[in-house]
Amino acid sequence: MNTREITVTVNGRTRTVTVEVRRTLADFLREDLGLTGTHLGCEHGVCGACTVVIDGATARSCLQLAVQADGHEITTVEGLGGPNGELHPVQQALHDSHAFQCGFCTPGFVMTVHGMVLEKAAGGRAPCSRAEIREELSGNICRCSGYQAIVDGVEQALAAGSGTEQ
Amino acid sequence: MAGGSAISGLVGARIHRKEDKTILTGAGRYVDDVYERGMLHSHFLRSTVAHGRITSIDVEAARGLEGVVHVFTGADMSAITEDLSFAQPIPGLHSPSYPAVAHDVVRYVGEPVAMIVAESRYIAEDAAGMIEVEYDVLPAVTSTVGGLAEGAPELFADVPGNVVHADEQLFGDIEAAFAQADHVVTDSIDQHRWAPVPMECRGGVATFDRATGQLTYEASTQTTHTLRFLLAGWIKHPIHQIRVIANNVGGAFGLKFSIYREDVALCAAAKFLGGTVKWIEDRNEHLVAGGHAREEQLTLEAAVKADGTLLGLRVTMLLDAGAYPINPPATVYTGIVRTTLPGPYRLPAYQFSHKIVATNKASYISLRGPWAVETLVRERLMDKIALTCGISPVEVRRRNLVTLDDQPTKMITNVTLDNVTAAETFERLAELVDLDAVRREQEAARAEGRLLGFGMGTFIEPAPGTADFWAAVGFPFGSEPARIRIEIDGKVTAFTPQVPHGQSHETTLAQLIGDELGVGFDDIRVVYGDTDATPFSMIGTGGSRAATMASGAVVYASRELRRRVLDIASHMLEASADDLEIVDGVVSVKGAPGASVPMAQIAMGCWLAPEMMPPGTNTELEFVSSYDGEGGGFSQASHACWIEIDQETGKIEIKRFLVVEDCGKMINPAVVEGQVIGGVAMGIGGMLLEHSAYDEEGQFLSATFMDYLMPSAPEVPEIEIEHMEFESDKVVGSRGVGEGGTVLAPAALLNAVDDALTQLGRERVTTTPLTPSRVLELLGVIES
Repeated sequence: MNTREITVTVNGRTRTVTVEVRRTLADFLREDLGLTGTHLGCEHGVCGACTVVIDGATARSCLQLAVQADGHEITTVEGLGGPNGELHPVQQALHDSHAFQCGFCTPGFVMTVHGMVLEKAAGGRAPCSRAEIREELSGNICRCSGYQAIVDGVEQALAAGSGTEQ
Repeated sequence: MAGGSAISGLVGARIHRKEDKTILTGAGRYVDDVYERGMLHSHFLRSTVAHGRITSIDVEAARGLEGVVHVFTGADMSAITEDLSFAQPIPGLHSPSYPAVAHDVVRYVGEPVAMIVAESRYIAEDAAGMIEVEYDVLPAVTSTVGGLAEGAPELFADVPGNVVHADEQLFGDIEAAFAQADHVVTDSIDQHRWAPVPMECRGGVATFDRATGQLTYEASTQTTHTLRFLLAGWIKHPIHQIRVIANNVGGAFGLKFSIYREDVALCAAAKFLGGTVKWIEDRNEHLVAGGHAREEQLTLEAAVKADGTLLGLRVTMLLDAGAYPINPPATVYTGIVRTTLPGPYRLPAYQFSHKIVATNKASYISLRGPWAVETLVRERLMDKIALTCGISPVEVRRRNLVTLDDQPTKMITNVTLDNVTAAETFERLAELVDLDAVRREQEAARAEGRLLGFGMGTFIEPAPGTADFWAAVGFPFGSEPARIRIEIDGKVTAFTPQVPHGQSHETTLAQLIGDELGVGFDDIRVVYGDTDATPFSMIGTGGSRAATMASGAVVYASRELRRRVLDIASHMLEASADDLEIVDGVVSVKGAPGASVPMAQIAMGCWLAPEMMPPGTNTELEFVSSYDGEGGGFSQASHACWIEIDQETGKIEIKRFLVVEDCGKMINPAVVEGQVIGGVAMGIGGMLLEHSAYDEEGQFLSATFMDYLMPSAPEVPEIEIEHMEFESDKVVGSRGVGEGGTVLAPAALLNAVDDALTQLGRERVTTTPLTPSRVLELLGVIES
């Protein structure tokens, strides 16, 4: 087995671990670190369920190898909420809007919206209209909701804009 | 029992979901999240040919790979399992049985031919690449028409001519209807294959405990009890030693109602190996082998009076069943199509015939409203009748719809219509639409070279349907149980056989229980999915039954427990039970809040010292109720769809989509809207984007999300909803709403496309999906 040692920071905690070089980042997060909130919906980069934030920008953890994360900082859905189970403002907004149903795509959407809020907070572009929000969400597939309530939640999350520190 | 809830408050409110905190924080336990130390991982090698005889399979190299624990060939697996048989006592149904892993003939691309169990999924897939399979390729059947052709290859010795089932039924005097007709209007549709495609694929984790002989199967399923029941026979294991569990299920849409050969192989492998084996389907496998739906061809011939009145209807239906039968039998689908097709319209005479045909494709399975084609063809026919008779699409429906004033009445298919408000939803829709304004706008657009289309439709949804509806279909209606326990501290645990996977039953059932028992929403927990804990039901979550059936079961169980609590409290408070109320877990005398006793105190007494409780009272605070549906009923809705077609690219843009729906009393409007909007989105995706495509040799062409196109947020329009809540006199006036959006939206959308084509003098749609290139063909921009 071809392995390599990597040092990654996941949800604020830095670890040095040995991984098989062919292991995907998603499998590393889910199976090696037990962070099963990151879901796998297609494993070919289309559905967005595996979205995480790497160094402040969203990325698909199914399309990266764990070794590529060496030296980088990763936030997964488990890293967003407060220590006592408080919802992050993005999660709260999506809860308030009744955004999701089965929940499988949910962590990916949460991280995508978190990325949008981070980008806006950093002075980057932010979608204004509902149509623009829909475009921004086009890399995440939800089969249950028909997206409308997710867009409602994104509007609320972008308006709130606070609590965006990683 | 009188109608209405004992206490109102939670029911009808947009209560935020109990389920959300788990799913939003990534804390859910979906089946791939199950992890046990030392667990093994499995992978299936699948057939690369559509039809062939396996002449050799060499697994030696794979068995020798480090980390591989076992490789099961089809023969190995058949030595420890029974063939899967879905045969039922349905006259004329041919339902061949088949092995969990193929060992002789393969009949579709993606059929399992070997199962590898290894220390990791990576190693299992490595090993799959080392297995050599040789096939003697046989000619494939890739369409219903091809399968029925003279001299077509036969898939099964016991399915002569590839006809799985054929039937014709006649209602009323069809000859007389056509003899009186001023017009005979014909229509047809050839609907393509598409699929449920939940975001979570199939999967399971099977654990065999060698000491106790217990097999535990944690699965992504809609129906734990049926899965357990069927597994027992096929893996040859006593049912009392099998426990099936579903925790979070990442969507299903009908697909996870079926029991699959992978379930059987996985549980048999765990038993054989004496440990824990996991199988998680990947997306490629899912699209190829998880099952597909909707591939049906229908022709219609309607006898119509000059004023648009429907006199009679002849329908033929071909259903492409794929290779292997699965549950439920395909006759259920043709049965629902036949029974429901007349819809909320008066139809004096009706003839329906069908053939279900075996082909070399993945199994035809349920997809959210699996009978939907009946609404698609009927609503398209109504528009064609309108055109033929020179009346508007509103007027043709108005002249044929059954209104509340006409009810109770019976459909020609012997189904009682009572409290059905399809006509009323349609009238409201027509009022909101203003068809004259739509026509003026279209004319103005045409003057600018733009093409706008408008379509509408109405329907009834058997959610749950009536007893005579299911009798007409040929499927049992069934009642629904629930068990409720008032715990020692006065809080409540409810057990339902539902297996929710997005339908929010933890929330909606708690709303109902909270109002009935006077207990706070946060003090109620709904338990589902574990066959060790939940009462038996064959269906689980499916058929949009829960809103009526699961609701009724918890309401009746709550009322019995409430009666017991009030009886005890009436002795303690020396007041008549009729004068008591329960608010926030405290029983008190109405108007005299000082005279009160907490439910917790009553519960503590009942559980710990029942002999100290008032004599003659029932101190059992756990009760199982069964709800019969009070005769059942229908949901109904009407949809309108406005589109613009880009005549250069062929793209269809949905400009506006309007729903007027009536599912009776809404338990939680936010949940209803989520179901309606999600359902409409799926119907739109199915018509415009999604296609489980095969080539003429039976090779599968849609094995990734780059080929099988799912609707994403920009493809789905904002959907406007107006609710009507017709109140019947039933205890439970709520109807299911899970499938209707997907059933009706395709009809409204295709009517809009036909409307646009008609404006240009082009032919109507006869085949789907309406991809941009297909639309350009319909417009005559490119050759077919």
